[in-house]
Formats: sequence, C-alpha cells, structure tokens
Amino acid sequence: MVISIHKITGQEIMYQKEEIILKVENIHLAYDRLILRDVSFEVHNITRPNLQQGQVVSLIGRSGIGKTQLFKILSGLQNPTSGKVLIGSDLHPVVEGEVGIVPQNYILFNHRSILDNLNLGLRGSINKLNDHEKIELINKYASKFGLSEHLKKYPMQLSGGQRQRVSIIQQILTGNKFILLDEPFSGLDPVIKDKVVELLINISELDELNTLVIVSHDLENSLAISDTAFILANQENQEGATITEKIDLMEMGLTWDREIKTKKKFQDLVAEMKFKM
Amino acid sequence: MGFLKSLFTPLTNTSYKTSSILVAINVLLAIVLWQVFASGGLIPTPLKIGQAALRIMASNGFYDNFFISLTLTLKGMSYSILIALVICYLSLIPFFNPLAKFVIKCRYLTLTGLIFLFTLLTSDGHNLKMGLLIFGIVPFFVTSFLSIIDSINEQEYELCKTLRMNNWQTLLEVVIIGKLDMVFEVMRQNFAIAWMMITMVEGLSMSEGGLGTMLIKSNKYIDLGSVFAILLIIFAIGVFFDYLLKNLRMWLFPYTKLQVRK
Repeated sequence: MVISIHKITGQEIMYQKEEIILKVENIHLAYDRLILRDVSFEVHNITRPNLQQGQVVSLIGRSGIGKTQLFKILSGLQNPTSGKVLIGSDLHPVVEGEVGIVPQNYILFNHRSILDNLNLGLRGSINKLNDHEKIELINKYASKFGLSEHLKKYPMQLSGGQRQRVSIIQQILTGNKFILLDEPFSGLDPVIKDKVVELLINISELDELNTLVIVSHDLENSLAISDTAFILANQENQEGATITEKIDLMEMGLTWDREIKTKKKFQDLVAEMKFKM
Repeated sequence: MGFLKSLFTPLTNTSYKTSSILVAINVLLAIVLWQVFASGGLIPTPLKIGQAALRIMASNGFYDNFFISLTLTLKGMSYSILIALVICYLSLIPFFNPLAKFVIKCRYLTLTGLIFLFTLLTSDGHNLKMGLLIFGIVPFFVTSFLSIIDSINEQEYELCKTLRMNNWQTLLEVVIIGKLDMVFEVMRQNFAIAWMMITMVEGLSMSEGGLGTMLIKSNKYIDLGSVFAILLIIFAIGVFFDYLLKNLRMWLFPYTKLQVRK
C-alpha cells in the first residue's frame, strides 16, 4: 500500500494506491495482421480519506489504432488472440456483463421508453430491489442527470448528449463498478464536451468503487478527468499498437481539479503527449 | 417557381397535403390519358370500368364473394404469419437454421407443379386453397423477416450481454419484442402477395365462390369491362388494407413514427 501526498493549488491532498483492480496481461489481437501487440497495464484502487470518489482511467490513441477492439476485449465481449484481462480485487478473468459499456453511438433499445431502458439496467442488477425501490432509484438518477422530463420519451426523441447520459445511467444501474466509454467526446462541440467532462466526474463520484475507463483519441479532455492515462500507439518498425506511455496524473499533481485545463503544467503535458501518440 | 422545382428534385421532403395533391394529379392524369387513348378500342375506358364496378357492387352475390375471398386471405395470412414467425425465431437456434434456409429457397418452387400433390394431401377444395396460399406466402414472409433479423445492429446484442441477459432473454428483447413492429411491415408487404394469389387459388376450386371465381368467369365470357372492374375492386381493397396495416403498425408501436422518413 502506497500513501502519497501531492500539491494542487497549494493544497495537500492525500490518496492511497491500494490493490490492483484491473490487470491487462500481454494482450495480442491479430486478424489478417497484428492489431494489438503485448498490451499490458494495471489499475490500482485509489482511495482518498474522508472522500467518496471513484477513478477515471484513459486509454488514448489515434483513430484506427485498435482502441475499439481493446474496448471490446476489456469488456469481455471479444476474446483476444492471446493474453488476458483480470478484474476485481480477486483478479478473476473478465466475463461479459461484468463491465458496463457505453459505445460511441450510445446504443439503447429504440422500442422502449427511457424509463423502460433504465428498468432493463436494473433487471439484471446485482442489487435486488422491489418495484418501488427501482422507481425511486431511477428517479434519483434521472433527476441528478437532468433526465426527469424525458423518462416517457423514446431514445430517438433525445439528443445525442441525453442518450449518452441514459446509456451511462443504464450501465450504472446494473451495479457494474467498471464502465467503459468508447470515444465519449467524439463529435461534440466544446461546450458540450465540458458538460460531458463534468458528467463523467459526477459519475466517478457516485461510488468509491466506480472506475470509468475512457477509450478516446481526445487527448486534452481525456487527460483532464483522468487519474491515470495510457497512450496506445505504434512503435517504429513494429506491427500492432501497444501501450507506449503511462501517465500517473495523481503523482504529477494534475488530478481532482476542475480548472486543470487552464494550468500551464497540464497544457505542457498535453503538448508533450501529442508527439508521443 | 422554387416550389415547383423542388417537386422535381430528388430527396425533397414534401408535406402530407402536397403528397396528397400529387397523388390526385397523377391519378387524374392517368385516367384522362386512358380515357383518351382507349376510346373506341378493345380495352374498356375508365368510365365503362367505373360503371361496371358499380353494377358489380350492386349485384346480389358480390358481398358474399368478397367476404369469401377476404376470409380466405386473412385466414391464410394468419396461419402463414404464425408458421413463418416460428421458423424465423427458430432459425436463430443453430439446429433449426437449415430449415429456415430451405424455406427461403422454396420461393423458387412453382405452385402450379405442386397442385396435384396438395390435392392428394388435402381433404376438400377449401383446404387445398388454404394449403396453397400458406405454402405460397410463408417463404416470402420468412425471407423478408430474416433479412430484418440479419440487419439488427450487433451492438444491440452486446448491450444485452452487458445488461446480464442470457441468450433466451436477448432473443426475446432484441428479436421478438424489438422487431415486433416489423412483423406488421412484413405483413403489409406480404398481404399484397396473398391478395394477388387469391385469384389464382380460387380458380382451382370454384364451388366456394370468391372474387377470383368472379374474375375467371368474366374472363371466360370475354367481358372485359367486368374483368377490369373486378380488378379495380381487388386493387382498391388491397390498397385499403395496405393503408390499414401501415397505420395499425404506427398506432400499436408509436416509436416507428420516429424511424421512418417523412
């Protein structure tokens, strides 16, 4: 167990890096060519005294590098050619349904209302609730994320941002602590991107064990909300993308600050990483 | 001028009112051209067809024949839908998949060659007609519905897995409930096939009557005015059911309104 202290805006913040909760070991994926090569990384459980806060981890890479394949492998929806993904404090191999996913196009059941879509999230939940408790929980989340007036609508009647929120809440309601988001900032204008950043921070703060894994090519926004980030890139003369860089933003004092994008140290980091992608 | 130009521009959205006016203009134009070019020829003019249609509808046996055809079609459609849906849903179970593939290929079997076989297999004329109707519709219904199942986004199945549904629950949610509205769309498309086939199968056993029987009798006496009038009546009933099924789908599944191009 490691206890670290770092300074942000002159304030000391204490956090602990505890056990490993996600371990990716030597993932290889090949079709007619090698897509992913020896992808390995691990994520620790981060705790902060007297504070309920989960964490955000980013996997950042250029478009077409194999991020979506890695996204599916991490969620257990696709088997890699070799290697394994272990999750939980007992580090067991991931199986589908243990990790929530929010795909880039926010897939929902178009034949069901928003309320029914959220109810489906609860139906398979590990937390067994009665009907009254279910409605109460859905209303709580709907109210927190500005969806109360949309519960009776169908997904096609919502904007992209609203569908994204429904999709995230649906996955949270299943009780999954790991939630993977594929390109959550893609195709959004700067104002909406800031709202998504805010939303993801709020989601991570819902539960100490919530771990959001963002797979994105948006370096700045991903780093702005992450505790840890990994760069997925190709190496010279080698086929297949791999993890080329690990960025521990906690150690660098660049986390848990909503104004982080304005800090020079953060901007320098973004500029540096752009060259490494 | 801009409005007129837009009517001849591809992918232009038109209002319901404009669409209705365009339909009326097209129909009127077709009738006028028909009336002008068919006058004095062998083919009856729209006016004569209209008069014959009114005469047929006022005749004694028309409504009996109409209900016989309609009952046979609806009964045949209902059985066909049930059989086709079972085959389609079963096709997602690997063991039964070859059956669905075989049924799809049955579209290429001509019914005429099978009439004798069906005559042997069925007890009376009514069952013969019903059997041929079902055998004729099911392969088309299965083909249409399976193409809808094939086009389901893979991510919908993945979503079910992340919501911890098992394969049976996924089948129920994504295919059975999720595509229930499309059953109505396929029904609408195949009602046309069933309605088209009705005249053919009714000709095989004429003792029960029906619009097909009326048509064949009029054809026999080369009463072209009546033939065209019966065709017009069959056409109008078909268009009415097409409209009915389309609106029934929208009424039962309101979300379909959001998915169709206006």
